[in-house]
Amino acid sequence: MRSLTFLCLLFLFSCSDSELVDLKNISHGAELYKNYCSNCHQMDGSGLAQLIPPLYQSDYLTENAGALPCIIKNGLKGKIRVGSNSYTLAMPAVRNLSRDDVKDICVYVLQKFPKTPIVIADSVLKNTHKNCP
Amino acid sequence: MKFVYVAFAMLLVVGACSEKKKLPILGNRAAVERLIDCKLQIDTLYATVADFSLSNQDGKTITQETVKGKIYIADFFFASCPTICPIMKKQMIRVFEKYKGDTGILFLSHTIDPEHDTIALLKDYATRLGSDGTQWMFLTGEREQIYELAEKGYYATAMPDSLEPGGYVHSGGFILVDGQRRVRGIYNGTDEKEVDQLMLDMDLLKNEQ
Repeated sequence: MRSLTFLCLLFLFSCSDSELVDLKNISHGAELYKNYCSNCHQMDGSGLAQLIPPLYQSDYLTENAGALPCIIKNGLKGKIRVGSNSYTLAMPAVRNLSRDDVKDICVYVLQKFPKTPIVIADSVLKNTHKNCP
Repeated sequence: MKFVYVAFAMLLVVGACSEKKKLPILGNRAAVERLIDCKLQIDTLYATVADFSLSNQDGKTITQETVKGKIYIADFFFASCPTICPIMKKQMIRVFEKYKGDTGILFLSHTIDPEHDTIALLKDYATRLGSDGTQWMFLTGEREQIYELAEKGYYATAMPDSLEPGGYVHSGGFILVDGQRRVRGIYNGTDEKEVDQLMLDMDLLKNEQ
């Protein structure tokens, strides 16, 4: 009985602990999003008319979630299609961000804007970031 | 019964006041003496936006004649601006959508990066923001002329004590100009509440004209 209680407690703690880390990442990501991304993509992720693509429920974001760290680090050039619109305005690279900063922005963006939140493993986020073209 | 009279009188006062509400005329003013009906009278000369000649997104020349007798909103931006411009444009779209089709109202967005923002690029920019380029125009021209217009015509008109040349160009203001080219208000184009106020003031100005 005692060991069961212990197990339960352990489970509870491990759970809340990882959630705490997640929440910390998300709120840090939200702060960074506000400073570096929201001018163009807007706080609600709606973008700007047909000039700046939306992130909110964006099919492009869902399909390219794995490439997000590199897009933030290097910017994006060329035509992309989001929903039924195409966008051509270049996105500038966001400089002065650490690897963890980029990771937290990704965590926030992928939690908040897709129809169903997307979870990407830390290892993937870090590797992709390291291997950006 | 007495109470009813008082209430009525108060209503009258309130009504009279709100009817009189007028937007201020910004900028320096001068008193000039004029002969009116053979009598020397003092008249007030208000600061106005200077004459200009710019090109719009279709390559058409736009001058003070284009805006004659019309209320218009001026702002300054550049297409590759990742900072406040998209927020301003988001707000400008709100105003534009409200007054779309109103022939008495124009929108003039001036690029402050004319080397980069070519006429073709402005055309694409306009289209992507949902403007067909007639009521909401995107203007370019000589860099010096645009900066001078911004500093002396629009911002300095409202802020004659400005010691910061060029500083206001990036301030994200929407400038409300009346049919006589007088600046009647400046609003922070990145602030939703101020833009709400701009729309209220536009309605006031429409009634005045």
